Amino acid sequence: MKPRLSPQTLEVIDALLAAPREWQYGYDISRNTGLKSGTLYPILMRMADRKLLETRWEASEPGKPPRHMYRFTPEGLRFARANSPAQPAGSRRVALSLENG
Amino acid sequence: MGAPRRFAAALLTAVLRIAPPASREWASAMLRELDFIPGEWAALFWALGSASAIVRHAACNWRQWVTQLNSKREERMNSTGKKTIGVVSGAVSAIMLVACAFGLLRLTSILFPRLGIVNAGWTHILTMIVIPEAIFIAAAVALWRKRRPIAAGILLIAVAIGVHIAVWAAIH
Repeated sequence: MKPRLSPQTLEVIDALLAAPREWQYGYDISRNTGLKSGTLYPILMRMADRKLLETRWEASEPGKPPRHMYRFTPEGLRFARANSPAQPAGSRRVALSLENG
Repeated sequence: MGAPRRFAAALLTAVLRIAPPASREWASAMLRELDFIPGEWAALFWALGSASAIVRHAACNWRQWVTQLNSKREERMNSTGKKTIGVVSGAVSAIMLVACAFGLLRLTSILFPRLGIVNAGWTHILTMIVIPEAIFIAAAVALWRKRRPIAAGILLIAVAIGVHIAVWAAIH
């Protein structure tokens, strides 16, 4: 049985699935999904707690403080592919970017 | 840096300082992202949302900790409760055996008055003390390994009867 995921969680899954092997920043995910930090971070925290998401710190620019980055674990990627409404992964985002020119 | 961004940074710094260890990494991540958010008010709203997320995360962890603590306490209480029930049921069984022996003795004296059981002291000692005590010891030995609380309850009554006899013997 598929777990019931909120539309916001599906948005986050979809955003991370757009580039599943790449690390993504919190603010970038927020911008891509349109979710506020108060909605986005609890989702990321839950996914990280369930080992679906791996996190790491990266010094993005010299002189700037390091940023926290996120990407799917192999288990998370399987979970995301099984539960994402947009198949193949990222197709909806590609369609949106094409629509926006 | 405008006032909203300064306030946002101060808020997230304060949250980072008071956040529990489990939420600190996330609070730090939200604070770092603040530098990359264009717009003063967007930064402020980011900080407000982040602070609420950290508070909820900390509250959730705290609730989990309390639930775990309560379940451990409940487990301990359950174990103590089970032992108590075992001891009480063993003691009640022993008391019922003595009561049955006493009832049988009285019934025999009523049904067969000519036997003179009421006046014979040895019948009382045999049916009320020797036989029940032997049964108690045998039952306690048999139950000690698998039903230790019940065995302890039975032994408790056996000891109580023994003390009762000792006190009675000392007085008379």
